[in-house]
Order: sequence, then C-alpha cells, then structure tokens
Amino acid sequence: MNNTLLELKNISYKYKNNLILKKINLKINSGEKIALLGKSGSGKTTLISVLNGTIKPTQGEVKLFNKSFEELDRKQKNKITTIWQDLRLIEDLSAEQNVNCGLLAENNFYFAFKNLLNISSFEKAHKYMQLCRLHNSLYDKKIRNLSGGQKKRVAIARSLIQGSNILLADEPFNNLDPKLIRIIKSLLLENVDKNNTKKSPKTALVALHRLDLLKDFDKVIGIRDGKIFFNIKRTSLKKLHLDKIY
Amino acid sequence: MNKLKLNYTSLSFLPILVCIPLGYQLINNIHFGGFKLFQEFLISAFKPKIDNEIIIIIINRLNETILIGFFSWLVSIIFGVIFGIISSNIFYKIFNIPNFFYRIIRFFLTIIRSIHEVVWGIVLMQIYGINFSIGIIAICIPYIAVNSKVFAEQLETIDYKRFESINQINAPKISSLLTIIWNPMINTFKNFGLYRLECSIRSTVILGLFGIGGIGTSIFLSFQTLNFRELWTYLWSLAILIILSKLIFKKIKFNTTNKILSIFFVAVFFIIILFSFLYFLYFIFNNNFENFNSVSSLFKSGSDLGLFDFLKLIYETIILSLLSTGIAISLPPLVIGIFNNNTSKFFIKIFAFLIRLIPTPVILLILLTFNNPSLSLAALTLGLHNAGITSKLLFTNLESQDRRNYIAMKSLGISKKTSWLLGLFSQQAKSYLAYCAYRSDIIIRETAIVGIIGSVGLGWQLQESLSSFAWQEVTIVLTTYSFIAIVGELINGKIKNSLT
Repeated sequence: MNNTLLELKNISYKYKNNLILKKINLKINSGEKIALLGKSGSGKTTLISVLNGTIKPTQGEVKLFNKSFEELDRKQKNKITTIWQDLRLIEDLSAEQNVNCGLLAENNFYFAFKNLLNISSFEKAHKYMQLCRLHNSLYDKKIRNLSGGQKKRVAIARSLIQGSNILLADEPFNNLDPKLIRIIKSLLLENVDKNNTKKSPKTALVALHRLDLLKDFDKVIGIRDGKIFFNIKRTSLKKLHLDKIY
Repeated sequence: MNKLKLNYTSLSFLPILVCIPLGYQLINNIHFGGFKLFQEFLISAFKPKIDNEIIIIIINRLNETILIGFFSWLVSIIFGVIFGIISSNIFYKIFNIPNFFYRIIRFFLTIIRSIHEVVWGIVLMQIYGINFSIGIIAICIPYIAVNSKVFAEQLETIDYKRFESINQINAPKISSLLTIIWNPMINTFKNFGLYRLECSIRSTVILGLFGIGGIGTSIFLSFQTLNFRELWTYLWSLAILIILSKLIFKKIKFNTTNKILSIFFVAVFFIIILFSFLYFLYFIFNNNFENFNSVSSLFKSGSDLGLFDFLKLIYETIILSLLSTGIAISLPPLVIGIFNNNTSKFFIKIFAFLIRLIPTPVILLILLTFNNPSLSLAALTLGLHNAGITSKLLFTNLESQDRRNYIAMKSLGISKKTSWLLGLFSQQAKSYLAYCAYRSDIIIRETAIVGIIGSVGLGWQLQESLSSFAWQEVTIVLTTYSFIAIVGELINGKIKNSLT
C-alpha cells in the first residue's frame, strides 16, 4: 500500500539569482520520524517552507496525499503543521489565544472573532497546553511575558491542536537547556502515531544541528548547498555521511 | 578653514533663519493704531466675563462643539479603521488581490486628505447652506483619510513572518486577517485614535469661526464686536473642555481582555457604521443643492483667473508653507534651549498651550491689530500655532529621556545650555525632525485657513471664488491645493524615511 504523505518532485527554488534548492526529490511516508541535518544556510528552512506551501518552488512539483498543492482545498492544506524556528506567535495575544489560533482552519470567522474577544472556549487549548506541560497560571499570560522555553511549548501546543498529519519543525531545540530539550523532543516525537488515532501527527520532520539528538529518529536526511546528499535510515548513518554535509 | 558639517541638531536650528526676511517685512508693516486693542486683548485674559447669560451660552455652544467633535471623531475613527485595512498591503496579500486596487484607494485617500477640513466645510456650506451636519461631514472627510493612513502604516509594520505563520494554518482568509490585525489596530487606537478627539474638537472650533456653530462661532462673534472679555470666557471654557477630555481618556483603561467591554466596543463599531450610512442617505436626500446647479459646472472652462496671478498665488502658498515650517521647527528648541530653567519652562508651556488653544484665524486677527496683512504675518501665525504643537512633543520627549548624559556633562563643568544641547536635545533631534516633516504636511493644508483670513495665497483665492459661486475656479484652486499637498507629502515622506 502506498503510504506516501508528502512528495517533492525535482524541486528547485531560486531567490534573487541564488539557487537555494537544487532539484530535490523526496518522499515522506506515514509514521516516519525524520531528522533533517545540514549547516546553517544549507537550505533547511527553505525546504520546510516549500514542504508546507509557504513558498512556491521555482521548478518542480509538491504533492500532498498524491495531489498537487494547487488542487488541495484549505482544509486539506491544514494537514501540515509547522513549528518555526522563530516560533511566529502573536506577541500581544495570550498563550491560550495563540493555541486557539491552531483551530482557526476548522472553524468559521465567528470563532476567530470570539477568540480575539477572549470569549471563545479554551477547553481544547488547555488540554494541549497541559500536554505540553504548561502550567495553568500561564494560560492567560501574554506571549511577550513568557520565557523562551514556555513560548516554544505554546508554539508546539498550537501545532499539535491542529490535528495535522505532518509535523514540520525548524530547529526546535536551539537555545534550550537539556531538561527542556528532553521535554520538547518527547512532545514532538512520542506523539507521532502512524494511524493518527489520537489525532496526533502521522509523521514528523525535524531540522536540527545536534547529532546527539538523533537517536529517537528513524530516518536522517542530509542537505548541503540546497542539495540532498543522503536520505537513509538512522542506523545506517556513518561519519562519512556527516563529512559530506558538514 | 573647517567645512561646515550639518547634523540633525544643527538642522533643527537652521530654519530659524527664515525669521530674517520675515522680521524685516513685519517691522516694515507695523502700525500703532491697534496696540491698545492688543493690550486690551491681553488684559482680558485675566478678567474674563462671567455671568449667568454667558454661562448658558457657553453650555449650549460647548454642547454643539462636543456633539460635532465627538461624532466626527467616532465616525472618522471607525471608517478610518475600515479604509486603513483596505489600503494596507496585508489585506491584498491575504486575499490575493492585485496591488493595482491598493494604489487606486491610496491615491484617492491622498487627494481627500490633501484638502483641509475648513476648505471642505466652506465648500459644503456653499453647496448645502449652513447646516449642523456639514460640520460633522467636513471633519469626517479628511479625517477618515488621515486616520486610514495612520492605521494602514501601522498594519504595514506587522512582521511578514507572523502573517506567513497564520496564513500557513490555512484558516478562512477573513479569520487570518482579523487575527493578524486585531492588536495593531487596538494599539493604534489607544496611541493615536484617542488623541484625534482633541484634534476633532479643535477642527470643530475652527469651522465654528466660519459659521458652522459651536463655541467657534461665539469666539468669532465676540472678536468681531471686540468684546475680548467674552472672547476669553469662551477660550478658557474651551481649554477646560480639552483638558477634561484628556483627563477622561487617561482615566479610561482600554482593557482588551475585559469581555463585556470588548463586546460593547464591537457593538458600538457596527452600530456607528449602520447609523452613519443611514444618516448619509438621509442627508443626501433631504438637502437642496441650493447654489450648486450641476456637477458639470465644476469642470466648465472660462475662469477669470489670470495665469500670472494664479502662479503668484501658488508661489505665495509654497513660501507661506516653508516660512511657517521653519518657525515651527526651530522656535521650540531655540526658546527651550535659551530659557532652560524651571520657571521659564513653565511659562513656555503656558504660552505653547495658549497658542495651540487659540484658533489660528483668531491669532491672525489679533496680530492684524498692529500689522498690515502680509505673507509674513500669515506665516508667523501659522508658524507660532504649529510651534505650540511641536514644542509640546519636544517637552514630552525631553522629559521622558534618560538624563545621564546631561548630568555627566554638567558635572564636567560644561554650561547648562551646552549640556542641554549636546546631552539632551542632540539625542532627540532626529526623531524631532521626523515629526516636523509630518507636521509640515499639515502646515501645507493649514495655509488655506490663514490664506482666507490673511488674504494670502490660494486660500484667499478660494474664498473669493466661493463667494462669487465661480465653481470652475473653485475646482482649479482645489486641484492645485491638492497637487501642492501631494507633492509636499511625497517630499516629506522621503525626508521622514531618511530620518527613521
């Protein structure tokens, strides 16, 4: 049975005469936990932006559930969720309002309006915030008043609440202490569920720098100068592979 | 010899050189016939007329002023928000609408904004006759455009990544838009929208001078009868109104997490939109176009305006704007710098408050008691009034500034004035100049008011053309005004961008 969720076919992306991604072919299957390795500026963030549809590739085709991005409706596109490196939370809104933003796609305009007026239900948001180990005293705190680690967990809760099939995370472990890294890694990977029974992601692709964090992943993709150098099982990863990308 | 190097500090003082030609003309035009009147005007400030009759008049007139000021503020803020959204690039990005529409709306709003509310008021009064609604509509037209510009500019400061992040959730576009713009809109309303009420009240007063009603009309009538004690009663009551409105808004805390308050504001928002629309329809269908036979008459050729005379009026308007801007920029730092002690500052603040309080046409009429009408006198009036506004900003910024540099310089034995200049003002000069660039946009528009009273520039021509119902001339003058204001705005925009 074909269990490919997301597929990139011959993808290139050019920005201001610089070729950032070069003819990338990639398949992401259900149940995979993928680590995306590469130096800073190697094209990891651009690849994630192409995967979630934020930027259109200059050349090639992105397919989600065997359909090209243009053919998908809004709710189908919502099957991908992203945790950005810079989190991109709305600073003036509270933590619970930000998490509720993850529900905007499955609700109408009235929900967005109620969320901003602070009169919507936060029950579901609180459930995910608890899952992300955010203390209930932080629920109504504005984002700007939270610490870096707390903000990161709010961003994760916002992504998880979307109930998407594919979770993309761009360097989520940067600037965190070891305890927080453990918490966030477990949040991102332990909930990956091939059958999506708990409405948690079927697959996760995480861009990272630190090699000591690789052990919970099944697959490793190495990228350098916008080109994929290897796409292998974690157990097959050798120093030789890493030398190619670092 | 060292080359003269200009920096932001010296650039803030340089425009004071406009006072040389200005002073020369003013001295030449001086006449001593009205000094007694001027003296009487000053003395009357300390003994305003207070009796039952005048108190009743004040209450009635202030009621009218508050009604016109408040409704025009409310409507212009709400429609300013709507037009602000549809003239910001974020709206077009979310809905994937071609930028062409964005440019058309912006251009349309720029034209509307370029004409002062008094000019709108006078034109509408000529068309519809004197009418209470004219005041509200005349203020609303340019204010909606001004407010929309400010709201749109704030929306354009939204981080593009935040937009991408919400957009990537793939929510309905209207939900994404609302979520992204909600807080910037609320913050702009708190920081800018509330201040606009004061502006709206001031505009109502100026329109009152031209007969629209409210306290402005009483001020003008008491000036015409040279009843200065009565005039000051009205001015002081206006001062109390402005101070009270500021105090009330300071007390009100707009807590966006308060559910009931949020629902109330949203309800008011939609009720006002509905009410304004119905009122607009009512106004259109219940007014006679008394002096305005057809729209086509606006564009008929055959104006009596000579080209040379018209170019002269344009030249006067531009020079008037430049001279006034020069005074508004340089006078406040110069005066505050020279008289840099607490007692002097107190008196400067009082003077600045009064000069902001007294409408420019009244200041000009007072100065006309001992000086012949001239371009310099109009420039002095406009410059002084705007210096009152720029000085308020300068005082506020200087008082909130870190004083460590100033203290350190003084401790080195450097004089108080030099320490103030280098330790305090020099750090403010750049942002002060940026604000002055914005202020000069307003000065260009205000030349119309002093022009009408002081017989200078296009403002004077507008008054003449309107009085004789020469609509084609009115069109030419308004188009020219618009053009000058737009060019001025473009130049000032470049200056502002280079300063911020």
